[in-house]
Amino acid sequence: MRLGLVIDLDVCVGCHACAIACKEWNASGTIGPLSDYQPYGAEPSGVWFNRIRHFEMDEYPNNKTVNFPMSCMHCEDADCVTVCPTGASYKRAEDGIVLIDQDKCMGCNYCSWACPYGARELDRSSGTMKKCTLCIDRIYDEQLPVEERQPSCVLTCPAHARMFGDFDDPDSAVSRTVRERGGYPLMPELNYNPTNTYLPIRRKPVIEVETKPKGGLKESIKQFANRLVRR
Amino acid sequence: MHPAFSVIFFTVASGAGFGLISLLFIADFFKLGGGFSDDQLVAGGLIALGLIAFGLLSSTFHLANPKNAWRAFSRFRTSWLSREGVFAIVFMPLALIYVGSIMFGAPEWLRVGFGFLTAVLAWITVFSTGMIYACLKTIRQWNTPLVPANYLALGYASGSLLLLLGAVFAGLETTPYIAMSALIVSIAAVLKAIYYFWIRSPGLTPTINTATGLTRAKIKLLDTGHTHGTFLTQEFGFQIARQKASVLKVVVFVVGFAVPGLMLVSVFNQNGGHAAAIVAVVAGILGAAVERWLFFAEARHVVNLYHGAQRC
Amino acid sequence: MNAKIKLENHDAQEIKYTTCYMCACRCGIKVTLEDNKVRFIQGNRNHPTNQGVLCAKGSAGIMKQYSTAKLTQPLMRKEGTERGEGIYEAISWDKALDILTDRLQEIRETDPSKLAFFTGRDQMQALTGLWAQQFGTPNWAAHGGFCSVNMAAAGLYTIGFSFWEFGAPDWDYAKYFIMWGVAEDHSSNPIKIGLEKLKRRGGKFVTVNPVRTGYSAIADEWLPIKPGMDGLLAMSMVHVLLKHEKFDYEFLVRYTNASWLVVQTPGEKGDGLFLRDENNQPLIWDIEKEAFRNGMDGEIAPALFGEYVAPDGRRVKTVMSMMAERYLDSRYAPENVAAEVGLPAEAIERIALEMAHVAFQETVELPIEWTDVWGRKHDKVVGRPVAMYAMRGISAHSNGFHACRAVHFIQMLLGALDAPGNFRARAPYPKPIPPHQLPENNIDIINAPNTPLSRPPLGFPTRPEDLVVDEFGNPLRIDKAYSWEVPIASHGLMHMVITNATNHDPYAIDTLILFMANMAWNSTMNTKNIQDMLRMKDPEEPGEYKIPFLVVIDAFHSEMTNFADLILPDTTYLERHDCISLLDRPISEPDAAADAIRYPLVKLDRDVRPWQEVMVELASRLKFPAFTKEDGSRKFKDYPDFIVNYERSPGIGFLSGWRGKDGSKSLKGEPNPNQWEKYIENQSFFAHHWPDNQKYMRYANKDYLEVAADSGFVGKPEPIIMQFYSEPLQKFRLAGQGLYDGPQPTNQVDRERLVTYFDPLPMWYEPLEQQRVDANEYPFFALTQRPMFMYHSWDSQNVWLRQLMAQNYLYMNARKAAEMGIKDFDWVWVESHNGKIRCQVKTMEGTQEDTVWTWNAIGKQKGAWGLKEDASEATKGFLLNHLISELLPEKSGERRVTNSDPVTGQAAWFDLRVKIWKAEPGETGSWPQFDVLKPYPGDERYERPNVLRYDARSHEKN
Repeated sequence: MRLGLVIDLDVCVGCHACAIACKEWNASGTIGPLSDYQPYGAEPSGVWFNRIRHFEMDEYPNNKTVNFPMSCMHCEDADCVTVCPTGASYKRAEDGIVLIDQDKCMGCNYCSWACPYGARELDRSSGTMKKCTLCIDRIYDEQLPVEERQPSCVLTCPAHARMFGDFDDPDSAVSRTVRERGGYPLMPELNYNPTNTYLPIRRKPVIEVETKPKGGLKESIKQFANRLVRR
Repeated sequence: MHPAFSVIFFTVASGAGFGLISLLFIADFFKLGGGFSDDQLVAGGLIALGLIAFGLLSSTFHLANPKNAWRAFSRFRTSWLSREGVFAIVFMPLALIYVGSIMFGAPEWLRVGFGFLTAVLAWITVFSTGMIYACLKTIRQWNTPLVPANYLALGYASGSLLLLLGAVFAGLETTPYIAMSALIVSIAAVLKAIYYFWIRSPGLTPTINTATGLTRAKIKLLDTGHTHGTFLTQEFGFQIARQKASVLKVVVFVVGFAVPGLMLVSVFNQNGGHAAAIVAVVAGILGAAVERWLFFAEARHVVNLYHGAQRC
Repeated sequence: MNAKIKLENHDAQEIKYTTCYMCACRCGIKVTLEDNKVRFIQGNRNHPTNQGVLCAKGSAGIMKQYSTAKLTQPLMRKEGTERGEGIYEAISWDKALDILTDRLQEIRETDPSKLAFFTGRDQMQALTGLWAQQFGTPNWAAHGGFCSVNMAAAGLYTIGFSFWEFGAPDWDYAKYFIMWGVAEDHSSNPIKIGLEKLKRRGGKFVTVNPVRTGYSAIADEWLPIKPGMDGLLAMSMVHVLLKHEKFDYEFLVRYTNASWLVVQTPGEKGDGLFLRDENNQPLIWDIEKEAFRNGMDGEIAPALFGEYVAPDGRRVKTVMSMMAERYLDSRYAPENVAAEVGLPAEAIERIALEMAHVAFQETVELPIEWTDVWGRKHDKVVGRPVAMYAMRGISAHSNGFHACRAVHFIQMLLGALDAPGNFRARAPYPKPIPPHQLPENNIDIINAPNTPLSRPPLGFPTRPEDLVVDEFGNPLRIDKAYSWEVPIASHGLMHMVITNATNHDPYAIDTLILFMANMAWNSTMNTKNIQDMLRMKDPEEPGEYKIPFLVVIDAFHSEMTNFADLILPDTTYLERHDCISLLDRPISEPDAAADAIRYPLVKLDRDVRPWQEVMVELASRLKFPAFTKEDGSRKFKDYPDFIVNYERSPGIGFLSGWRGKDGSKSLKGEPNPNQWEKYIENQSFFAHHWPDNQKYMRYANKDYLEVAADSGFVGKPEPIIMQFYSEPLQKFRLAGQGLYDGPQPTNQVDRERLVTYFDPLPMWYEPLEQQRVDANEYPFFALTQRPMFMYHSWDSQNVWLRQLMAQNYLYMNARKAAEMGIKDFDWVWVESHNGKIRCQVKTMEGTQEDTVWTWNAIGKQKGAWGLKEDASEATKGFLLNHLISELLPEKSGERRVTNSDPVTGQAAWFDLRVKIWKAEPGETGSWPQFDVLKPYPGDERYERPNVLRYDARSHEKN
């Protein structure tokens, strides 16, 4: 299995629901708590696994705003795992999920240097690196209803701009969607082979219009032929 | 990249230490300039080991969870950071045996054998340090063989200047030491110059377009999605103005290479010249520290593409 | 699986379902609790509103529950301190209620109008309104006057339902969707769910909005309109549709008043009113029978166009002919409005024709048999799949009522309402146009002590006789709603209350109760001056304030509570019983009538009470008839008891599910003592799914209307004929012209406003404030909106949400900013006719060039909301509110008039114009700054650590 996410840039409205749902689940989840710094103070900040950036494409008035959620891509060739000196970072053979063993991490930050996607954030309180677990404590929890065995970001996304599934299975919804919509990885030139895939912005629908006015109502208003329409 | 002082101290100090002990062995083996006395060699070796130990110690300061530092040796097969740790740890006993064999007048084969192993391990360790940075595809300015070459050259340059200082104080014939320093400092300067020219060219690196996959138009960041800093902006957001970097590069060349070079001439002309040798060492190490700071400061991690950078 | 993965300890957990209250969307939530701590809040998949999804606010509810801004006990302003100093003493609930009861008793016994009770973002207006009615004061409203009334009134006076809570786009069938207006802050999750559905099916999404953020980001086409020009754009689209004869002839004939005849006797009484028969029924010209016939009847064949002569000799004309004459005028041609609205003529024409194409060439037909209200059977439902929705950008202008009506005109012309793929009604809508509910205006009843009003304080006037004024035409309400100044102010004018009460205009009040409204900060216009008004002493009553007694009810330490004389602390939404009633702002969806409840999930840990509980208590103490038995004892034990047993009319109560003694009845039935339990069993909501034959065309759907009449949604199962031409407006205009048989205004200002703005067909005019502000001096329009993760919520104090945004910027068009030499993060001064502020700029592409805007309500007063003094919300965040005046700029010889829509009294937040210049070097930080709010007694319990590590787990921790 190669588990990961599909993010649909065409419908992401940038509402940050996924980011907060992630924070919420994982704060009390397997590698929680997630520290918040200066929660009531001057410059609030904290540990998050999922962040949404907002970009603008092209120039006014042809510009388009593109909302861009990012979390761990669970790369096939995850340098964050390769460079980790302690063995805390590992990629699971059975499903490809990249995890950090909190009991082994020494907080050297080196893995975060190796990650091009900004997926790893140090928790200063625990001194350990943290990241998206793909909600491993949801997806394998057999006590949860089947339909809820999904990452909390996917579960919550109001625009259904996120999908979770197995990319190794060519018939899975994620695989099919990626094929149909031309999904793409970020920064492919770095050869990390990220599992998470982004769906591009759809082309504008084209609607034909009749531009030729009929006679022109205004001139004919006085003589306008009423039609016999019964209520 | 955020230039962490602990890492700068570590790499500069340990680099100098590894350089010094390697060159000390060569000086001992070839009895350069008449050769150091055993006591002098021991003193020099201990100074080198002190620098290395001090550097290694300071490198743990940047760990957020140092209680797990011992685990850093476990991923030798894949991680250059782990390798550096392992090599440094293997180096230490070898170097101690080498110094001990001098101190206690051990048989020559032992002294030479361990001296050689010490020098090799020192070289490998510094190379590994360089590779920690060079293997990162995320930072174009680091992802080059020039980086380990630079680390080695600068470590050995600092070491050679220290060794020269020792030779001057020991009253040895300084010419071979001057020659050695001149050669290594020159190589370091040339490598650094190549590096600086190289990182100026844009190269085929990720851009905001490939980072987002939005390749058909100009892309601009509108909002990062958080008002204040995050771990990512603190760690990777550091930016240095181009002009400031240029000035610092001049400082690196003047202080790190030109001043030591001039001091070498001065030592040569004075045939001795304690002050000049001290200035050479201080300048060399200072230059290396500035170089190291700049090495971090100029490195642009690709994650910055998600924080507003157009290219890295 | 890997042994290292720690799974949840489900045995230690409890799952409960309730209703979110982080915004007005009111989604169903599934809450996982562990040891009385909230572990996880997620969307309820079975809930009709959110279908399992949940927005950022919803998930951040945890941090709201654990906010350090929560009030902990009742507080009384300390004797000897001044209002606004923020020095309080804790008092007991008993004492607080005694004080309040005594004061209210006295008011009720003397002059009930001296109590004003206004509520903010509550969702219990059915109760607060009933309470005010029972008290006997007309001075009640919720915040609709500064929020929604243009939207609501335009809809309810035109199509019988309206944008926002009373309707929703049909996302399953729509193929073309236009969203109108900036500040996309309504119906948050349903719209997100829907936009994805629309785009997945290949539908087109067009946005008309000066700013491209939020939903507009994913639009297929962005029309960056100039603010305030939406009405003109819509009318130009009407022009295009008429010019190309793209309108649904049958729809217009059957379901609208387009064929009704309007009397054409300019300058005479009766001009512009419908030609009516002796039974007061509107007449049409039947082209088959060649006779005038009742326009409400079924068996008619009306002329859509034409001029006729009535039997009494008066000239009459069809509404459609009047519309054609008006909107076919070249004034509305795309090429003639292009420059004003800031859009290319090509785009205006094309969008109108694209809609027409989809409506008429891509029609959806569903094989659903239904019967129309005239008794004819239809074998299918025809949908013209164009849907629309409008946002605050339409509503918050002083020309917004007409703009919103013009948007409805497009829908009506296309025949695209409440059919598949359209904007569809949500029960209890549609209602008669306008709804048959008049505001109480009997002065004797209003003035009578100890007497409830005979009708609710709010309603829908249809003629000058319905105004709430005295015999001299002076307003009877403190906010002047339903006065000549703002006749159809159907949601009141909360934004005028403090100003009017301070000025004793129209009269002085004694007590002002504000519930959950930050009227001393981001919910008021003119914030700085309003704070001064709240502090103002009455020179004629030494020691008294202009507003003598101010009671504030809130759950949190806000800028507003700081001005209260008495603070009554409320609970959070996870701590109390609540009901989201069909009598109120419904959560129904087009396919289901729905309501919902909340019940306490988390144990209270402080001395606070739900306000609705306190209201029931006060109503019982004050012996309101509806709350008192004949023997004088209290009728309802508490709020849950009230909700179950109160009946508005027999069988109709606050909750529509599980009625009847055994819980077997829906919508209508006797009270069920186990109703709360049934709701809780059923995940805290009730949904009555409409059968297919009652889903569409409900303005004329017999089966639906019969159920609606039976359930009290409408009075009788009669056709609801949509009103292009609005006769109520014409009646007010006649009054302004001096041609009305009935009350007429005496003040010249009022007369002019009625004559100018009460056009029975939509018109466009420059927003009122802009008419008085020099556009050359103040070249920019200035707007606000709230970010998606905060809108309609109280949540800048939220530890998680504030990380996303702890400071707001003034956004400008990048090219425009560059021309002015302004760069990202420059500090600038922004000045309006009313004041100036300093703030920091960010540039962007997605802002119309003449527009600047910011995220509202990010700026906070220092010390408020449980934040530390140096919070960037206070030091760098700012409010645009200081620049907006609640009054129009003075005009010589004229009394000061509200800065509101002249028809509805809707606060004209978005009419603001400003100028901008770079601050001097060293001028940084937001300005103006205010005193630091002091912590309240009870605040000691909050730690506010520098690092917060929230963890709900009671078991082993990392």
